[in-house]
Amino acid sequence: MADKIKGKGVISGIAVGTILLAGQNLDGYLVNYKPGKLDAEKKKAAAALVEVAEGMKKSIDDFNSKGLKEQAAILEAHRMIIEDPALSGAIDEKLNECGSAPKAVLDAAEVNAQIFESMEDEVFRGRAVDIRDVGKRIAKFLLGIKEPEIAGKVIVAGKEIEPSVIAGLPTDKIAGVILGAGSTTAHAVIIAKTRAIPTVVGVGKGIEQMADGDPAILDGGTGDILIRPSAEERASYDEKIKKQEELKAYYATLKTLPAKTLDGVEVDLVANIGSPADVDAANGFGAQGVGLFRSEFVFMGKTDVPKEEDQFKEYKAAVEKCNGNLCVIRTMDIGGDKPLPYIQVGAEENPFLGYRAIRISLKREDLFMPQLKAILRAGKFGKAAIMFPMVINVQEFLDAKAMVEKAKRELAAEGKDYSDDVQVGIMVETPAAAVMTPILAKYVDFFSIGTNDLVQYTLAVDRGNAQISYLYNHFNPAVLRLIKRTIESANKEGKWAGMCGEMASDPCAAILLMAMGIKELSMSAPSIPRVKEVIRKITSTEAKNILDKVMEMEDGDKIKDYLATLTF
Amino acid sequence: MTEATTTIENKTGIHARPASLFVQTASKFKSKVQIKAKGKTVDAKSILMIMSMGLVKGTEITISADGPDEADAVSTLKELVDAKFNEE
Repeated sequence: MADKIKGKGVISGIAVGTILLAGQNLDGYLVNYKPGKLDAEKKKAAAALVEVAEGMKKSIDDFNSKGLKEQAAILEAHRMIIEDPALSGAIDEKLNECGSAPKAVLDAAEVNAQIFESMEDEVFRGRAVDIRDVGKRIAKFLLGIKEPEIAGKVIVAGKEIEPSVIAGLPTDKIAGVILGAGSTTAHAVIIAKTRAIPTVVGVGKGIEQMADGDPAILDGGTGDILIRPSAEERASYDEKIKKQEELKAYYATLKTLPAKTLDGVEVDLVANIGSPADVDAANGFGAQGVGLFRSEFVFMGKTDVPKEEDQFKEYKAAVEKCNGNLCVIRTMDIGGDKPLPYIQVGAEENPFLGYRAIRISLKREDLFMPQLKAILRAGKFGKAAIMFPMVINVQEFLDAKAMVEKAKRELAAEGKDYSDDVQVGIMVETPAAAVMTPILAKYVDFFSIGTNDLVQYTLAVDRGNAQISYLYNHFNPAVLRLIKRTIESANKEGKWAGMCGEMASDPCAAILLMAMGIKELSMSAPSIPRVKEVIRKITSTEAKNILDKVMEMEDGDKIKDYLATLTF
Repeated sequence: MTEATTTIENKTGIHARPASLFVQTASKFKSKVQIKAKGKTVDAKSILMIMSMGLVKGTEITISADGPDEADAVSTLKELVDAKFNEE
């Protein structure tokens, strides 16, 4: 019999694979480690530092030759820590105390990490993770623990999973994801979503029942997890897996069909992406372009302001892959929660209400200008649009738009080719912007409703807080009214409105939004077939009737319940 | 021993990139190089120790070197700090 664990299924699908624990605990290995004489241990530790640093040099060269500059830069920083005299000094000191090389390495890293963790500056604090990571790497080397070799498909499990862990594994190797923490909007989950990896969250201590290499089955629809299943239990999933394959085959037949209602109302279904490579996957699901290109990856992991030329290459690649469809690129949406060396935000009580996104861009021309120029130049290779995040008033948009015009003048003066036909719009993700859409619509080319933040800001609910997550509901009547207002404001001025938050991938929401007059729904690509299926099954009159009924209802939970009774 | 005192003027202070640049530069010299600031003295060839001092904009630091190329080391490092690590 298997160990059964129940969590919350967030990305549906059945996954079969072996468990790969992220954030491995070394305690068990340490207990069994038999240290030699002090001198021998010191020599061993010193040799390990050299070996690990050498090994990293190879990986760094490898990353560099493949153009993976970010990964190379992170490893380079880790390598400098390994070669640091302060670390080897601390290891020697700790060895005198405990006599075990691997333990001394971990302790020394911990001491250094804590120094950084106690610092006021957020950027300094962030380095603590790197130092612990380095300590673990060396300790594993000393303990003879090899990085797990991935033979078949794995189910990545961890209390918390660093986004880099999932991003770093090849997609075809990851069958599923299990997260101890409860957030459905954790970055690891968002990445899993763009790749359609079945995922279960909120299993809490259930993680402790798993060991590396355990065979497991996961149902991302129900949240059921079976660890070490028997042959019968394994067989009981065969039917479900078969159905899953059939559904996949059916969805594939929808790929080239339009998202059009029975009476001919059409909505563009497009993709949210994080890098140009995601466009290929999105096209595979039948996306008709990109509604949200999160440009953050261009900024993350860099020690300097990203250059116009480097950004241009990335944007151009994404625009070209869209094959003439629109590619909406959101300008930098970073703040104090993701500190970067070249953006000094400082400690803030509320990074999500702080100095971030367009607020930084407008003050930092050195950051903003290269990005705008890069997008305008990429526009020459297809159809690009610029979207500003976090806007709360008309002036911010006008200031940002003036910068776009300035960027064009500079490009012209520099003799660089750019497109004059790049739409400029905003994310509607603050209640202030949603309320002001009748005015904003006079100036923008389009709105894209960012529901993750709009719901969070409107309801004053932190989406990551498990205690109040029951309040987070995109069908809340207040939220629905702001969305409706935004769409109607756009249509009234002859502009278009789309949506790029999680809500867009909810088939029930798609019906309501279509009835409100939305023109574009942007979502993680694997959700496209299901939304398209629903839209193709109804008429716009039916959708309108459902919307009328919903707008009369007074409670978000009741609206949710009502929509769940509809079958498509 | 050679010494020079200066003030950190670049916006981001000495962390991440500036710190690694400082260490890489300091490591090119044979002399023992140290930074003194906020009453502490640390090895200028250690990125961990330099970063752990939390040298933000406006901090006064003294760079000192002791060895065969001490004068060159101090002047090169002071120049790097004064040039705001070529950041701005």
